[in-house]
Amino acid sequence: MGVTIVQHYPMTENRTGPQVIEFLTKRVHAMGAAQAGPFLVDCETYNSAPAFGPPRTVHLLNNSEQPATVFSILESGQKQVPLVSDPLFMDLMKKLGSVYTCKQQTRMEAKGPRFEVADFLVKLGTVTMNANFKGVLVEVEYRPCLVPAACWELLREFMQGFLGTCVPNQPPSYLQNRMQDIYQPLDTIQQYLDQFREYRKAVTVR
Amino acid sequence: MAYSVNVAIEAPIENQIQEIAYDGTEVYQQPLSMSESLSKLAAKIDFGKGQDEKEEKVVDKTEEDAKDPAAYQSSLWPWDSVRNKLKNAFTEVCVLSDVLAIAKEKRYLVLDPVPQEPPETKAMVTVYARKKALGGAATVLLTGAERLRTSQSEAARNRAASDFHIELLALRKNWRLKKVGNSIIGDVSYRTAGSKFASSGMFEVTKAEEEPSSGWSPPQSPSAVAPPPKTPSALRVTLPSELQGVAYIEVHCRKDDEALFSTTVTSSTLNTAGPMPDMHWQKKLEAAQNVLFCKELFNQLAKEAVQLPGPIPHMVVGNQIVASILPGIQLIIGLCHSTATKNKKSGPPQQKKSDHDHVLEHSIHQLLREVHHKNTHHPFPHPSSGPLGPSKQRCLAGPSAVDRHELMEMSKSKTLLEQIIEQTQHFTMRRRTEYVLDTIAKEVRDPLIISHWNSINSPTKACVKVNIMTHGYDTICRTLLIIHVGKKSLKCICRDGSVMNMSYEIQELRDLLICQIQQHQITAVQALAKCMGWQLLSNNTHLGVGEVQQMGNASSCMLASPMGDRLIAVRCEPQAGVHVSIAHSPRKDFYPGQLVKDRKWENLGGGFKEVRWDKMEGKNFLNKMELLMASLTSSS
Amino acid sequence: MAQPLSTAIDTAFKSNIVPDQEYLLQGSILDTSVEHLLHRLRGLCDNVDSGPEQFQDHEMCFTIRTTPTPLSLRVRRALDHTDMPWQLRYIGQPEYGDAKRPTIIRSSIDIGCSASVVEFLTELGCRMDFEYLARGYMFRKGRMKITVAKIVKTNPNKSQDSMQLISESYLVELSVLAPRGQDAIAEDMRSFAEQLRPLVNLDKVDYKRLAHGPP
Repeated sequence: MGVTIVQHYPMTENRTGPQVIEFLTKRVHAMGAAQAGPFLVDCETYNSAPAFGPPRTVHLLNNSEQPATVFSILESGQKQVPLVSDPLFMDLMKKLGSVYTCKQQTRMEAKGPRFEVADFLVKLGTVTMNANFKGVLVEVEYRPCLVPAACWELLREFMQGFLGTCVPNQPPSYLQNRMQDIYQPLDTIQQYLDQFREYRKAVTVR
Repeated sequence: MAYSVNVAIEAPIENQIQEIAYDGTEVYQQPLSMSESLSKLAAKIDFGKGQDEKEEKVVDKTEEDAKDPAAYQSSLWPWDSVRNKLKNAFTEVCVLSDVLAIAKEKRYLVLDPVPQEPPETKAMVTVYARKKALGGAATVLLTGAERLRTSQSEAARNRAASDFHIELLALRKNWRLKKVGNSIIGDVSYRTAGSKFASSGMFEVTKAEEEPSSGWSPPQSPSAVAPPPKTPSALRVTLPSELQGVAYIEVHCRKDDEALFSTTVTSSTLNTAGPMPDMHWQKKLEAAQNVLFCKELFNQLAKEAVQLPGPIPHMVVGNQIVASILPGIQLIIGLCHSTATKNKKSGPPQQKKSDHDHVLEHSIHQLLREVHHKNTHHPFPHPSSGPLGPSKQRCLAGPSAVDRHELMEMSKSKTLLEQIIEQTQHFTMRRRTEYVLDTIAKEVRDPLIISHWNSINSPTKACVKVNIMTHGYDTICRTLLIIHVGKKSLKCICRDGSVMNMSYEIQELRDLLICQIQQHQITAVQALAKCMGWQLLSNNTHLGVGEVQQMGNASSCMLASPMGDRLIAVRCEPQAGVHVSIAHSPRKDFYPGQLVKDRKWENLGGGFKEVRWDKMEGKNFLNKMELLMASLTSSS
Repeated sequence: MAQPLSTAIDTAFKSNIVPDQEYLLQGSILDTSVEHLLHRLRGLCDNVDSGPEQFQDHEMCFTIRTTPTPLSLRVRRALDHTDMPWQLRYIGQPEYGDAKRPTIIRSSIDIGCSASVVEFLTELGCRMDFEYLARGYMFRKGRMKITVAKIVKTNPNKSQDSMQLISESYLVELSVLAPRGQDAIAEDMRSFAEQLRPLVNLDKVDYKRLAHGPP
């Protein structure tokens, strides 16, 4: 598990989702990447019942890169509490069905091909919300390094190389306060959650 | 105080019947008149009877008194004597009661028992009685003791024939026994230690028949020493035929140049004493357990050999497994099992005996024991309410978000054959590395090659530190290398950080070392020059001039003396050795010619003349260089 | 690999490979006699050579107001192995109705989680009911796990010296975690419990009667 950046790739008018993925795949292949299976990141949201008190939301995320884990992020007001646990936790959330309900319409997932190129891992994900296409997310991981401050520049250069100018010069807002900390798989999930939130807010394809 | 007591006197019966008239009327006798009856009654009283001796006097006196007044008054009052008697009696009773009351109060009168005379005892009678009683008890105890003594002496006499039950007890201390029907069945298998081998290791325990003591076979060896006389045991242990005898796993490596099945694994190389038919049951059972273990081990290895894919498939023939370790080297694992019938005393030791690798055999045994251990010792859950079973790594996998790659690594496990092949590969690589280092150290004397092997290593990894230095100049320059010996490859890390990965061909290591030696010489010369005050003009690790080397590249350096008037050029080649040439800086043979007119051009330096290095004084290359530099340094 | 994890879990549950049932027998033994019990267990259980395993756990019980009945969750951590993950445990109601069953059967889900679970549950709306420390020994025989533990009450300020013992006895539990439908294990448990009599009587405990017990 190395430092990972989750980057939103803006859609243009004349291209559909699969076309964008194909375009990016060609670029990635040109760098010498080899496809290494598919990947999937999905998110289910549970909302607390109104009678239960102040509104709270629990997001349950799974990442196919860590198949033995489920990540849960609880939002209550301004506070966020993460929990990393075994997959059986999802069954437990179902038992709390009377208090926390899940709406199928808000289920988001990002899935697509996964490429390995030297020390990098590139994932091109198609974001769908309840089978409606919402956009494209690109995840790039630099495996050898665990400290974002040490490899942000390298990652930025690599990403700008095949994604172009959509990659900003500053690190993502989530990582800005954590540049010197050791990177955790939970940080990737937080980035995905932030991106999924943007996609939910957007009415059309982003 | 006088208490008045009422005494009533009454006539008891009615009047007597005098006559009965004819008409039934009864005529009563006229009762006596008062005086008549009283006198009659008084006459009846005999005051002489019922009186104590003590009171005889009193009574006599009273009698006399009574008689006197009675005689005096008898005509007047016949009751007087009665009254007096009663009064006396009453007085006595009062006195007695007063005495008792006083005695009870214990202030004025105390009652004490009168000491009685002790009854007469006859001492001798009691002595005789006691003696008789003790004698009776003694006879009882003595008969009991006699009985016990006889039974113990019986047992002691029969111990030479060793009681079946005592032997059975000793057997039970070491082996698991169970009674099934009428027979006693035991188990030599490793099932409770974690083995999952299907073969059962059951043996039966029976009573041995009585053997005459002269019946045991005469000693088989012709040696003069008679084997110690063994008492036949009362137990006989019957093992299944496949577990009888002695077995061991023979492991050896061999080069491929011989024909494939030329080596036969025979049992005549057994080191242990062969089984004799009347071996003690403990040894028999231990040997049987070892046979079972070896069978399980061989069975497991054979199964894996058939299933394992590899560049050269492994072969299983009969009781041998042939696995290829490296190209040209094979590992042969064989199961040697000798039963009692085939035993011969060991002949002259054959070639294979020295080839048998005890270390690898021990390793194989350890590997199977580890498998058994893992089958029984599962880790406990912490906290205690967790499920039994998952290892610590697996428990941590969820909450620490391990990725797929690590999960797959966790689930992979190596088979026994793979592990032993890896160990053998490493062992071969290590032996080869040792051989190369030793050979080079013997051949190359000028820089000394010193190797330090790390004492902490694993069955698949070892590390050696190689030190190249010149004798006497070790503080000036040393070249260090670390060589990591892996399973099929070597990795060499030099002091400057460069890493070289070599394959199992050991020639590569040899070439590398020779190149390193040559590099060392040049580096050492440069360091020496610094010490001597000579200046380094240039150096080149990979020289492009001169002959092309077969191996590596030549390297060179140019040194100038402190005054600048002498130059030394050193060229070091991996195989041809060193060439040293010197030159004078202002040429001695400068003659201005047509083209070159100025005197200053003499400073360009003259031609180099090679030094005859073999004639040079000095113990070793650096010593020679030092002497050369010293001789060329001019003081002015 | 790319199928959603939730469907994988559901299929795993449906095909009966996830152990989610706990078979349980409980009993207690006085402090003075616990040594005898430990000796006997040491001889009866597996791995005689390695000795009993000690443990020291801290357990907290949370409830959340769900309908119809409030749900209770337990969080347990090992104090002597701080590198092991915390454990979140859901224990269902024991199945009653069949007095002939040898053991208590209840559903139990064990989830390993990171240390932020207490904060997570608090924010989720759970309230902590009680907490205690359990210290003792663990044994295993095949699939059965036997724990002999002393329950100790912790103080809110968690000072080590002022811990109150609740009783002068040890709690003995014999449990097996198995998938649904393996009732034969209950018979094995019952026969093992017989071997521990008369030192300790392992039996089914009716919690409802304990809760509404004599005042």
